[in-house]
Amino acid sequence: MSEVMVSGSVLPLLCIPFAGLLLCIAVMPLAAAHWWEEHQPVVVAFWSVLFAVPFAWVFGVSHTLETVLECMVNDYLTFIVLLFGLFCVAGNITMEGDLAGSPRVNVLLLAVGTLLSSLIGTTGASMLMVRPVIKMNAWRKNRAHIMVFFIFLISNIGGCLTPIGDPPLLMGFSRGVSFFWSLRLLPVMVLNMVVLLWLFYRIDRRMYCGDIARGLKPDISRPGTEIRLEGLHNLVFLVMIVGAVILSGTLPGMASFQDGEGHVRGIRIFGEVVLGWPSVIEIAVILLAAALSFKTTKPEIRRKNHFTWGAIQEVAVLFVGIFITMQPALMLLKSVGASLGITEPAQMFWATGLLSSFLDNTPTYLVFLTTAGSMNFAQGVVTSLGTVPVRMLMAISCGAVFMGANTYIGNAPNFMVKSISDENGISMPSFFGYFVWSLKFLFPVFLLDMVVFFL
Amino acid sequence: MEYSKEGIRELAERIYDLDAEVYAQLGSSLGRVFNRDRESCVKELCELMLERKQAHLVRSELALISNMARTIQDVSMRKMIMSEYDRILKDVTSLPTSFAEGDILDQHMAEVNALNLANRFSGQDHKIICIGRTYGSGGTEIGFALADSLKMNFYDVEIFNAVLNRLEAGKDLVEDTAGHPYKSRRGVDGNVQTVYTRPVYTQPAFAKGPERTLKQRMKEFSRYHGLSKSDAVFFNQSDLICDMAKKEDFIIMGRCANVILANNRIPHISIFINAPFEQRVHRVMAVNEGKMTKKQAVHMLKKMDRDHVKYYKYYTRQQWGNSVHYDLCINSASYGIDGSVELIRKMVQG
Repeated sequence: MSEVMVSGSVLPLLCIPFAGLLLCIAVMPLAAAHWWEEHQPVVVAFWSVLFAVPFAWVFGVSHTLETVLECMVNDYLTFIVLLFGLFCVAGNITMEGDLAGSPRVNVLLLAVGTLLSSLIGTTGASMLMVRPVIKMNAWRKNRAHIMVFFIFLISNIGGCLTPIGDPPLLMGFSRGVSFFWSLRLLPVMVLNMVVLLWLFYRIDRRMYCGDIARGLKPDISRPGTEIRLEGLHNLVFLVMIVGAVILSGTLPGMASFQDGEGHVRGIRIFGEVVLGWPSVIEIAVILLAAALSFKTTKPEIRRKNHFTWGAIQEVAVLFVGIFITMQPALMLLKSVGASLGITEPAQMFWATGLLSSFLDNTPTYLVFLTTAGSMNFAQGVVTSLGTVPVRMLMAISCGAVFMGANTYIGNAPNFMVKSISDENGISMPSFFGYFVWSLKFLFPVFLLDMVVFFL
Repeated sequence: MEYSKEGIRELAERIYDLDAEVYAQLGSSLGRVFNRDRESCVKELCELMLERKQAHLVRSELALISNMARTIQDVSMRKMIMSEYDRILKDVTSLPTSFAEGDILDQHMAEVNALNLANRFSGQDHKIICIGRTYGSGGTEIGFALADSLKMNFYDVEIFNAVLNRLEAGKDLVEDTAGHPYKSRRGVDGNVQTVYTRPVYTQPAFAKGPERTLKQRMKEFSRYHGLSKSDAVFFNQSDLICDMAKKEDFIIMGRCANVILANNRIPHISIFINAPFEQRVHRVMAVNEGKMTKKQAVHMLKKMDRDHVKYYKYYTRQQWGNSVHYDLCINSASYGIDGSVELIRKMVQG
């Protein structure tokens, strides 16, 4: 069967398991919450098998095995190890204090977290900030909106300024985009931040007044505010993890990590699947940081933080299925991406963004960067994939980073924040409920971005 | 499961205890599902279960508790707690959805809004009367006279000052002029006299002080736990009013006291005193002894009413002066100050 025929006819059908899994993630917590909690691995296995069998029938067993291993080893493994490392290290830092969660404190926290995202990554900032935000607002009843805007800003939008911020930008960096180029996205980020924080303030103020009217009040019996951070030495391990992420982006470009054909050296797993040495180093450093963090931190701190494995476990299980079953969708995107007729920055922004809302944003970014690079532009940012005009690269970057916020599965920290919130007495919106929040607040802001920056 | 009031209360207590136990087992400091005092939470749960179509909210709260319970490390403890959770869930899901069908009674209001005001307070309760009033309606004088007649303490601006002392705060940044410009004083005959203490045309309620520097703002941010000063004052005022309610009988003017006490399930009588706008204008001009023109008086009254509405709405989500929120609304122009005092006294004493 020719590749073109496969792309045209079979691949869309092979996307059904991916859609099925997404539908389960969206519907099952509402329809059968307890059953879903206990049987997530079974559901993931079911849809993965449902993907693998027809895929093997079309492409052969060997190719299927290679596809699955490739995504598991080179995408999922580094993804989950990074998440695990940050989850462990951030869980060992606790904030004790009596700062009361009020609209202005929350705006301040979200603003700080958003800026932090570009320095330590959206996942790092999310894991570091999520517990203090929950803790400061523990006295309140209406809290779900705070976590929704947390996901919008800290888990996604804030990561656009550096390659450390979000994996797609790291991929761009490893393809020749300079490290500080992403700082050009500052005006876009500032606009989004200002608009979203203003909207958040209005909503939070209404909710805050509602809480006061119910008779809720924070404990402010002691004069003055005391904030005490414990486990601060874990910041060293956090820096270690950030360093490992930077290394994973820079090492593959170094000659000593490449073979004669320019491929990254590594451990051959199966067929063409190779776990590159840079990834091995990244994984080793992250796991070492996590282990040291656990070894050097008192269990009491984790107890105060209500540290459990539930959130990371849920993400680890669900994302195995997501990574495996989305392969046909990514293959389809790679095969038809260039022929979609997307040539303008605004189109790139929405195409990259909408696909990043459901697919892994790193390959989506690469597909559109490759498409833009192959258009033979004479001026712009020179990358290893070709020259891409500045506005177009901005649109692709913003689409990939910002629109991960559209759904719970758009970016890894989204689901982590949801799970941690669920575990701590916050009634988070369902998959569709969250999407409604995105439609109401994010899409208008993205339309504004398009009008101001990409038209 | 018995669907009596006692049965519902027992179920509510079990839910509260389950949450407390889960929280204790986890040792987390990230907050819990029921984060208020036991009595308030139990009563709220009872109301939710008694109220038609509200039982699903209880199930949502239970789901949150179970999310936390599932993360308990100790397997035997987790099993024990989850078993109790299952039993409670079974009882809650078997609640009849039309439990209070056809009943207009608001459980929450019913407890504090009995028709016979004299019987409102049990033997252990202190007698508390909250009076809201429009400026110029004579509400403060009525409050003073009523306090004297009932031999009760009277609080107006004193509450605010006590809170500021509690907060160790300077009074320069927020000024309470919501209290009307009168002060009580015992005369030589031992009777309380209402004394006018400052010009009527002062700043509006909770007027903001002069612009603050960044340093002052930072200091204030730290001093009030990140809250605005007015919010910090309100929260402290709430605590103070609730503390006082445990110790003494009193009459309190304004300060959303009726809502604060209702939220804390403290029996009280709430009264709103108003008068036609024209009457209020004339009274303000008369009290001001001709130092204020009609135009100034109208302007001031409108502004004060606006500020009152805004303040009350912000902290209570209720409409200031809306009769449904009070036990008794009086048009003081119909009875005069003495008549109003007598009317209230008769109702309160039965």
